[in-house]
Amino acid sequence: MRNFTLPSEELMGSGHLGCQGCGAALAMRYALKAAGDNTIVVIPACCWTIIAGPFPYTSLKVPVLHTAFETAAVAASGVRAALDIQGDTETTVLAWAGDGGTFDIGLQSLSGAAERNENILYICYDNEAYMNTGIQRSGATPYLAWTTTTPEKTPKTEPKKDIMAIMVAHGIPYAATATVAYPDDFIRKVQKAKSIYGTKFLHVLAPCPPGWKAPSEWTIKLSRLAVHTRVFPLYEVEHGERYILNEPKEATTLPVSEYLKLQGRFSHLTEREREAIQELIEKRWQKLLRMVRESS
Amino acid sequence: MRKPIVFTSEREMPPMAVSLADMGHNCTGSWRYMRPIYSEKIAPCKNACPLGNDIPRILSLVSEGRYEEAWRLFRQTSPLPGVCGRVCYHPCETKCNRKDFDEALSIASIERFVADACFDLEDKVSERPRRSEKIAIVGSGPAGLTCAYFLAKDGYAVTVFEAASQPGGMLRLGIPPYRLPREVLNREIELIARWGVEFRTNTKIGQDIDIEKLWEQYDALFIATGAHRSRALNIPGEELALTGLEFLKAVNAGQTVHIGKRVLIIGGGNTAMDCARTALRLGAQPIVVYRRTREEMPAIAEEIEEAEHEGTQFEFLAAPTAIYQRDGTLEVHCIRMQLGEPDASGRRRPIPIPGSDFVMRADSVLKAVGEEPELSFLSERLETSEGIVLERAQGLLERAGIFVGGDAQTGPSTVAQAMRSGRETAFAIMRFLRGERKPKAPQLDEALRVNFSYFAHKPRVATPQLPVAERISSFAETKRALSADQARVEAQRCFSCGVCNNCDNCWVFCPDAAITRIDSTYQVNYDFCKGCGICAEECPRSVISLVEEEL
Amino acid sequence: MTPTLTGTKKVVTGNHAVSYGVMLARAQVISAYPITPQTQIVELLSEMCATGALRAKFIKVESEHSAMAALIGAASAGARTFTATSAHGLALMHEMLHWAAGARLPIVMANVNRAMGPPWSVWTDQNDSLSQRDTGWMQVYCESNQEVLDSVIQAYRVAERVFMPAMLVLDAFVLSHTAEQIEIPDQSLVDEYLPPYRPIYKLDPNDPRSFGALAPPDVYMELRYKMHQAMEDALDEWARADEEFSELFGRRYGLIEPYRADDAKILLVTSGTVTSTAREVIDELRAEGRRVGLLKIRVFRPFPAQLVREALRNAEKAAVIDRNISFGMGGIFAQEIKSALYNSSECPPIFGFVAGLGGRDITPKAIREIIDYTESHDEPQDLIWVGVKR
Repeated sequence: MRNFTLPSEELMGSGHLGCQGCGAALAMRYALKAAGDNTIVVIPACCWTIIAGPFPYTSLKVPVLHTAFETAAVAASGVRAALDIQGDTETTVLAWAGDGGTFDIGLQSLSGAAERNENILYICYDNEAYMNTGIQRSGATPYLAWTTTTPEKTPKTEPKKDIMAIMVAHGIPYAATATVAYPDDFIRKVQKAKSIYGTKFLHVLAPCPPGWKAPSEWTIKLSRLAVHTRVFPLYEVEHGERYILNEPKEATTLPVSEYLKLQGRFSHLTEREREAIQELIEKRWQKLLRMVRESS
Repeated sequence: MRKPIVFTSEREMPPMAVSLADMGHNCTGSWRYMRPIYSEKIAPCKNACPLGNDIPRILSLVSEGRYEEAWRLFRQTSPLPGVCGRVCYHPCETKCNRKDFDEALSIASIERFVADACFDLEDKVSERPRRSEKIAIVGSGPAGLTCAYFLAKDGYAVTVFEAASQPGGMLRLGIPPYRLPREVLNREIELIARWGVEFRTNTKIGQDIDIEKLWEQYDALFIATGAHRSRALNIPGEELALTGLEFLKAVNAGQTVHIGKRVLIIGGGNTAMDCARTALRLGAQPIVVYRRTREEMPAIAEEIEEAEHEGTQFEFLAAPTAIYQRDGTLEVHCIRMQLGEPDASGRRRPIPIPGSDFVMRADSVLKAVGEEPELSFLSERLETSEGIVLERAQGLLERAGIFVGGDAQTGPSTVAQAMRSGRETAFAIMRFLRGERKPKAPQLDEALRVNFSYFAHKPRVATPQLPVAERISSFAETKRALSADQARVEAQRCFSCGVCNNCDNCWVFCPDAAITRIDSTYQVNYDFCKGCGICAEECPRSVISLVEEEL
Repeated sequence: MTPTLTGTKKVVTGNHAVSYGVMLARAQVISAYPITPQTQIVELLSEMCATGALRAKFIKVESEHSAMAALIGAASAGARTFTATSAHGLALMHEMLHWAAGARLPIVMANVNRAMGPPWSVWTDQNDSLSQRDTGWMQVYCESNQEVLDSVIQAYRVAERVFMPAMLVLDAFVLSHTAEQIEIPDQSLVDEYLPPYRPIYKLDPNDPRSFGALAPPDVYMELRYKMHQAMEDALDEWARADEEFSELFGRRYGLIEPYRADDAKILLVTSGTVTSTAREVIDELRAEGRRVGLLKIRVFRPFPAQLVREALRNAEKAAVIDRNISFGMGGIFAQEIKSALYNSSECPPIFGFVAGLGGRDITPKAIREIIDYTESHDEPQDLIWVGVKR
């Protein structure tokens, strides 16, 4: 009575250096299961720089190109071009970047690649801060969250950047959100992306137990709650226009406080601040619903 | 596990930082301080069942439409599924983990469905071994029947002595047919008899047969005579009230009982509820007088609800002080009570309010304030004290080969408890006859943590009921059976708590790819498991435990 | 323009000479971002890709940083790669220059020397390329359009043998936009000279490996040692490449080129297009009977220290013209030459001249003054500014 239909092929090996309960490690495991062994992964500076293992080792059973922080999308474009000119149009080129490398420093090259509609799959595993450097705020850090550069007395005063809207605005053939609590949805989206020519963007919420100040066993729980509280709705956008909502079957909408209360990074919040977050979530949700309605 | 690569010279190194091996040398298991282990747990329903019926497995069989297998599985732990499916107070449902998600499984209804669906099936009695020892069982209530069944199944020659004209004890005498149709009881007794059990009815111990004689003639003796002696109210005019049990016995035996229109029932237990509902069916208007409140009533909630639903009235916080006969009716003097500090039973003690006396009139009064065992037939040689304090553990009795069980031992309890006692006694008798000691039963942890995220809300299938108007005009069974579809759908709601059903969650959610899936089992690779705990957290049915790592 | 001419003579600008060189080298992936005065290089390459004269993927990226990053990806996947840039574009690439070299990728690029802003300038000087001195890129300073084309081909040859990237450097406008008649080599001969790129390792799903992972201190230094060894090997490779090139094409350039230097008392040291002007001046001075000679530095990285020492051994003085400035110290070529000579027993005094920054002409008159100054002074000076209005 399997709950999921995950491919059994294991392309991420044990012994990697992800922390206990690392959402990013799990995300990679799913992504590679879906993408298959004919995949080349391009990793800019991010947690996965470390997780993958030091020279002369690798924890992945597919080729990996480590590259500079801001270059995931474009280095992947280069790999794609090299494969194409050598006659290989089949291999999947997967740019695998964190939120800093996507929302912030890598946004320019990502935008360039998307504008050129490079035939690559770009997956941003979003743990909502610069976790590898020790939890500094990024453009993906949520409103009012604690990080080491947004201390509790002055938590982040800006809402999370809407990266999906940015990518959708490029009119790329496929953009979708996914998270580790929903492996089937995740795998389906990677496989769907793989079957499409052009730039595909997946925004994956990947809980980070140390950075979110949550127990390691709650990675899936938090990921699931993010969906249930609409902090992180699951949806797809085709060709920058067609919005498809992927509400999980068992989903019941919960107040955002159910999600916030489990994480130390939100422990300083006042009731009013929690309400402000709830309003923000609701606003974004209504906008998403509007987009879904208008495109159907 | 691989050895790490050590370069002794730059000449051994590639020109650039290219990988030469995987991370198999890096045993991240050393990071772990909590160790996940697979350990199946006992489901709370099964744990709560006095008989230990294997409910999760039975429900799993029902969900697949495998009713015969389900029935046979019931019969491994219980000879009376048809009875229990109707009259058991189903502690299994009370403990069902699903109640915290939506509603508990309708386990009793499914048990009844299985018994009804398999009404014509028989046990495989030909597989019965043969043994020479003879055992006498006094009393054919649920304890006696169950004990007889397990002994006979194991090949012993069993004779059951019953004072009444038909076996069944309180099941037949006390429980009204609208709760337990007699054909169901008869059928399940018949199946017990098929194992070779001999029933000697109309044979009352201490009257028709002497206990000393039985002791001589049989290798072991089980006294399961129940608790039939009604407790006294100890008030003036008590003799004007009929005991609830006498009333029920008479009605259940088909005798005509005149109780008039307005009937007061003193007491708040199951007997009181049966009296009230029976009185309703005789056209009376029953009023239950109870000295505490509804919350403290010892009757099972469902019975109270049904009684009320059918039209019973309740007078709470009232206790009778005297009964007088006046002008052809009864005058019951009562006093108002209030609740004080909790007593030994944990319930708040009723305290009379001085000067609050009042009078209730009635055509008849039924007193149902509890029953107690009647063990006066025991000879002086046999040790006894206070009637119910006889315990098998009290050396002399047990060594003598005389066992006491059911309500006769505990005082009034439930059908399932009596059956449990009967079964335990059957095994105690076998050990006694074989000179064996009681084995230590392995203690399984209860599966209490269910991850609701993996289940969809589904309403409990309601048990069909007769309309009230039809109910109170006859003694027809008030509950109806589930249809096969309903039973299957309902059984599919079962979480299978504590039992791995290969849902794959542990394998799927391991961020360290440290769980391997071999056929239908999972193994943790402790060389690499970092002990994050996700597998245990996400196991829907509490099969994985986290234990502290020994450092 | 249909760039199909090979093995013929053609009048082309320095920029287009680069493009022809890249075409003949059969680059497979090109990635570039427009910047004056480089832009013509990639314009022609775009056209070559469009017409099919060059079978390559041209990734038109959104920045020079991305241009180099794209090539790192492409080269890692086994492709021969090319980009071109200038000044700020090169500066923006800086991080990726380190990356390309550290990854041992034989990427070839052309940098059209342009002065750095602010203030904005589009004219030539060498501060852009020399600022990248320590990134691990080979640097070749070209004097003529023919040398530019030939050096592109040689650069691939050397780069792909030592697995280090190479930068062709040509002066803004003086070469980049100035047309000269050059010979376009025959494609088959170029193919013979430059076989397809064969990486040791590449991104290959059939041989999955990671590239560029974290290197702990116990291995990092060895990898850097190997890069330096590769640069040392590159000195020989350049010499060999030049030798074999001359056999096939009849032209050679050397890592350095002494000109009328045999009995010179004063040796002028130049790089880039100043060299051509200096040749004229030397010829004039020789005609006047003065014992002056010229030393052209072509390959700056790896620095041909031994060759430079030998070339300067018999000179009484050397005058180094730097079209660049390391603020707070002086001309960079002068520093390099002084470093190369310091541990040598024969070590002539070095006069360091900084001239022609931001595209100011270095005229024959200025060169003559440099030589006169050197001749007339006994004490060497680290930094002598040429032509500054004071």
